[in-house]
Amino acid sequence: MKLALCSVLALGLAGSLSAGELHGKVACKGVRNSADAVVYIAAIPGKTFAAPAKHAEMDQKNLVFAPHVLPIQVGTTVDFKNDDSVLHNVFSPDACCNRFNLGTWPKGQSRSYTFKNECQATLLCKVHPEMEGFIVAVPTPYYAVTKADGSYVIKNVPDGQFTVKVWHPTLKATQKAVKVAGNTQVDFEIAR
Amino acid sequence: MNFPRIHLRALGGLALAAGLLLGLATPLQAFPIFARKYRTSCTTCHTVYPKLNPFGEAFRLNGYRMPQETEDLVKQEPVSLGAPAYKRLWPSAVMPSQLPGNAPLAVNVKMESTNSSSYDPATGKTTTHNDFQFPQEVNLFAAGTLGDHMSFMSELTFGENPDGSTTSEIEHARLDFDSIAGPDHLVNLRVGKFAPNLYDGFQEMWLMTDNGVDTMFTYNPVGYRGGVGSGADDLATPIISLPARVRGIELYGVAAHRFFYTVGLMSKIGPGGYTGTYNAADPTTATPTGNFGNNAHKDIYARIDYKFGGMGLDGNTDGVNLPPENWRENSLRVGLLGLTGNGRDINFAVADSLGNPFNMQDVNYTRAGVFGSWIYSDLNVFGVYLRGNDKLDLIDPATSQVLNENTRSYDTWFTQADYVINPTFITSVRYEHLRPADTSVKAERFMNLNLTYLVYANVKTMLEYRQDLNENRNNQLNVVLRAAF
Repeated sequence: MKLALCSVLALGLAGSLSAGELHGKVACKGVRNSADAVVYIAAIPGKTFAAPAKHAEMDQKNLVFAPHVLPIQVGTTVDFKNDDSVLHNVFSPDACCNRFNLGTWPKGQSRSYTFKNECQATLLCKVHPEMEGFIVAVPTPYYAVTKADGSYVIKNVPDGQFTVKVWHPTLKATQKAVKVAGNTQVDFEIAR
Repeated sequence: MNFPRIHLRALGGLALAAGLLLGLATPLQAFPIFARKYRTSCTTCHTVYPKLNPFGEAFRLNGYRMPQETEDLVKQEPVSLGAPAYKRLWPSAVMPSQLPGNAPLAVNVKMESTNSSSYDPATGKTTTHNDFQFPQEVNLFAAGTLGDHMSFMSELTFGENPDGSTTSEIEHARLDFDSIAGPDHLVNLRVGKFAPNLYDGFQEMWLMTDNGVDTMFTYNPVGYRGGVGSGADDLATPIISLPARVRGIELYGVAAHRFFYTVGLMSKIGPGGYTGTYNAADPTTATPTGNFGNNAHKDIYARIDYKFGGMGLDGNTDGVNLPPENWRENSLRVGLLGLTGNGRDINFAVADSLGNPFNMQDVNYTRAGVFGSWIYSDLNVFGVYLRGNDKLDLIDPATSQVLNENTRSYDTWFTQADYVINPTFITSVRYEHLRPADTSVKAERFMNLNLTYLVYANVKTMLEYRQDLNENRNNQLNVVLRAAF
């Protein structure tokens, strides 16, 4: 009897927390491929998420930011590495991250910055003006960045009604109201 | 009509062989730079290069960008000179720009077999020439875009003359600042040496013929009783005539898709100053330096156009039904053009009927004209009427006193019909008429016939015949083989 009761309770708990994946494709019109779009679930009313303790990483290698677009959860600290044999700098002109400037540092070293607000931060390097990268700080842990074919997968998404947003470095952002129930497919199309 | 591949080759060979056997014969050409950049054929923009189709005209007026261009259309990724976000930091940071992904260079090679006949009424002799001008000229082009708001074009031409002499010239070198204010395409600024948009639609990129419209662009207005004709090597010709190319600053743009305007300020291109001491009575004692205006004045020119029907001048196709054959449309483009300038202090040597020497200055000149271009399916008929007035001061070379002042007028017009028989065969007929200011001289009349065979999109052969309608012993038959790569 006790075992049966525990089983029922476990099943009930599992039901309320059932999670699937949100997946689909983002068609990016007017650009060479459909990579680098960030798909994420917008802030969920009444829900907060603790900032992750684990640092994210943005590398500077071969004179490019890698990855080009890095989505993170708000509160995440990002370590900016330099894997080149030349000096690099990282700064952002965006107010949402207080226009930080981390100075200049050589190969093998890194500097860190914590993104405390929701933000689409452009990253630049004063030493190499052509370098450009993006940190997209989002309010939930449910996010993904698209591959070149536009596909994305966000795992462990609880069932429910959400606003799913899409951001891209050069195309207009968009959003949809989505009801997630287990594995759910949502496709988007964005353009200039 | 589609020819099988073997027929194309055979026809190309025949045309080449015909040229070689006949032993027979200058507008701008094409830039395969853009074929490489966009991975597209020359015929995307040209009916037969250099003649632009409506899309090519929009591409040119858009500063060498496709209408509504997006980055996926550009197959050669440009080199970034600064991340786009730096725009927000200007002037604290340098405005970002781009370089073309590859060296933006192209070469045109022109082989011409010329058979010409000219009659000299003074001697009563007819002289014929039969020259293989292989090559006649080689052009090195550079053209492209520099970021979102700049473009450039330059052309260096190397020529070989029938007498073995060679020439080289920077024919074009210009920088354009595109869409610098207001809506896209409305305000563009051009600086350098270029063919002004004053001639948009009837010179350089619109002429498929080997011969240019000499009666329009090489008229010499200076003469004891006014100008006597075109094509002379007289010093005044390139200065005060309608100049084919200018050194200048030009504003131009397209409004509401169909209205075109340009206004420019230019230096005259001509002999300018002289090395040695200039003696008007004997100009051969000094050598013209060739490139600089030698008075303090600039010429001003302007033009307005409107295009009815067809593709918009900026490439807009809203509400327009266009066929897949991209040279076809039904449209009418009309325009007004004008130029005014001042040649005071520039002396030209003239003589009266007794041979007495004088200096002459063209102290004020105006050119005013109308342009029309009608495209009806495969046919494009276009032409210009131009009237010129020159206020000519006759000056005593010894005392520099003005002896008299006369205003002389001339008019010239031409009409040309280009017809696309099929995409590989295009033909053209042109009639030119020039009534010089000197009324004792007969009006000039010329007929120019052309048959062009487009061997490949970037290789063409032309058979062209030009006839002086006043003297049938003055004629020229050219066979041209031209490749762009």
